[in-house]
Amino acid sequence: MIDKDVHVAGSDRPEKAVLRIGFMPLADCAPLVMASVLGFDEKYGIKLVLEKQHSWSAMRDRLTNGELDAAHALYGLLYGLQMGIGGAARDMAVLMNLNQNGQSIVLARAIAAAGVTDGAGLRALMQAQPRRYTFGHTFPTGNHAMWLCYWLAAAGIDPVTQAQLVTVPPAQMAPNLEAGHMDGFCAGEPWSRRALIEASGMLVAPSSQVWPDHPGKALGARADFVARHPNSCRALVAALLETARWLDASPTNREAAAEVLASPAWVGADLALLRTCLLPRRADFPGLRFFGGGEATFPWLSDGMWFLTQQRRWGLLREDPAYLDVACAVNQIGLYREAAALAGVDVPATFTRSSRLMDGRVWDGSDPVAYAASFAIHGRDAARTEQVR
Amino acid sequence: MKAIMKREEKRVDPSPSLRIVVVTCGDVPAGDAALAAQACRSAALRVGLLESGYDIVASLPPDIFLPERIAQLQPDLIIVDSESDARDVLEHIVIATREARRPIVLFTEDDSAATMEAAVAAGVSAYIVAGLRAERVRPVLDVALARFKREQKLLGELADTRQKLAERKTIDRAKGVLMARHSLTEDEAYGRLRSLAMNKNMRLAEIAQRILDVEDLLG
Repeated sequence: MIDKDVHVAGSDRPEKAVLRIGFMPLADCAPLVMASVLGFDEKYGIKLVLEKQHSWSAMRDRLTNGELDAAHALYGLLYGLQMGIGGAARDMAVLMNLNQNGQSIVLARAIAAAGVTDGAGLRALMQAQPRRYTFGHTFPTGNHAMWLCYWLAAAGIDPVTQAQLVTVPPAQMAPNLEAGHMDGFCAGEPWSRRALIEASGMLVAPSSQVWPDHPGKALGARADFVARHPNSCRALVAALLETARWLDASPTNREAAAEVLASPAWVGADLALLRTCLLPRRADFPGLRFFGGGEATFPWLSDGMWFLTQQRRWGLLREDPAYLDVACAVNQIGLYREAAALAGVDVPATFTRSSRLMDGRVWDGSDPVAYAASFAIHGRDAARTEQVR
Repeated sequence: MKAIMKREEKRVDPSPSLRIVVVTCGDVPAGDAALAAQACRSAALRVGLLESGYDIVASLPPDIFLPERIAQLQPDLIIVDSESDARDVLEHIVIATREARRPIVLFTEDDSAATMEAAVAAGVSAYIVAGLRAERVRPVLDVALARFKREQKLLGELADTRQKLAERKTIDRAKGVLMARHSLTEDEAYGRLRSLAMNKNMRLAEIAQRILDVEDLLG
């Protein structure tokens, strides 16, 4: 009989000491960058090699073909990949959540000038002045698409039939808004903030207004990579937990992170811009949250399932998946708990959490099939799936 | 070697009826080396396809009108640099047109994962309309792959040459410093550099740069 508790010498040694991690130049890549810069990776016997990516698609390809070991990925993208939306299905893993909040919904200056300050105002304007209204997001199965659709629908605007949604690279959001090519967008910082500073747009809703403390980027990897490298992955999560704790520990640390991220090697944006993204702002606009005592980092099953319910709602999934089974397979709670123990981070007692979204609806993960079917505005029927116009 | 590659390309049977769209990288801001390299690859690819008898119906910039133009042109095959930020826009088209005539990523629907990986590694991504037979598309992609790979090799060699040249200059300047400071001949200065590099286990160019840095500091 094998005693599982026998500690074989060196058994927790990382199977792979050098990990190649993809990141996008966004303010919320801070945990990965600072883990490397501050040496939290080396503390756990690994070395992060960070590779900047230019598109979510390229990052996904590199993750699936093994060029990258893990990545700073849109939560929704990882679930879309798991379900084979738009391509082949691959078994993926969410090792932890990397951030909460910190994305924005921005409307064009012309819309704001017409007196629109919220979703209801936008709906009134769209009814009074009918034309084609175009809104940008960053990836069809991704978080920004989901926040944008949720926000529009909560205001009574059907994003499938009453608006045109386009995917636009984040750095092109502000120029396209300025040029009048679109009426608004949802993107991550600092790109959303750039539109405000350049005055081409107006912030109507921080993503935390759609869902306070919503899940953000996830640390994604292939499931088979995690299965073959459990020690490396545990060390990686532990290092990132320490970094997340450091990031939330003081404004001084946030300031230091902003200075590091401003470099062209990382985000490559104006320092003042990054400061506004990373340092706490107005109390009614909760900004980026990285740690939250271990609540922001936890790979909640209800967070994973939420993306599936919205992908079902908008017809990206044509049938209800086995929500809980998928989330249990993707979100690596066992590994996370071990890493949290290493880093001395508390683990929540339950694996789902209860959240109240902007329309007053409560999502606690308890009945995903009913929840996904309960929205009056939806695109569940494949026939209604948006066509390229 | 080059002649053989050329002959192999010529053997490819052109399919003029294939409607191919190449996504370019638009305007390249001065100083953006990555985008400049993309522009080079894209240009080389277009030349390669034309030389092999393929019809490029359009070269489109990666702007917000890309989906609309693609919808109008209805290409069979879209070729894009894998580093292009238009990749996500094309992904949107893939998902949005699932119900109709849909472009798909070729290699996800067949078993040739190795070819997919080779394509991504070489810097080419292709979106191909479902129902198009793989044997018609593969020669096009072979041309694209060969071109992208050759272009990458050339760019690599160019970067390598540039770096060597820069290192050579650094070493020469460091030699000059040593010669002036210690009244050495050129050969003696070079010998000093080499032994310093060996003792410190550093490359010649690195130790030369250190010497120049110190010289800068001390004036």
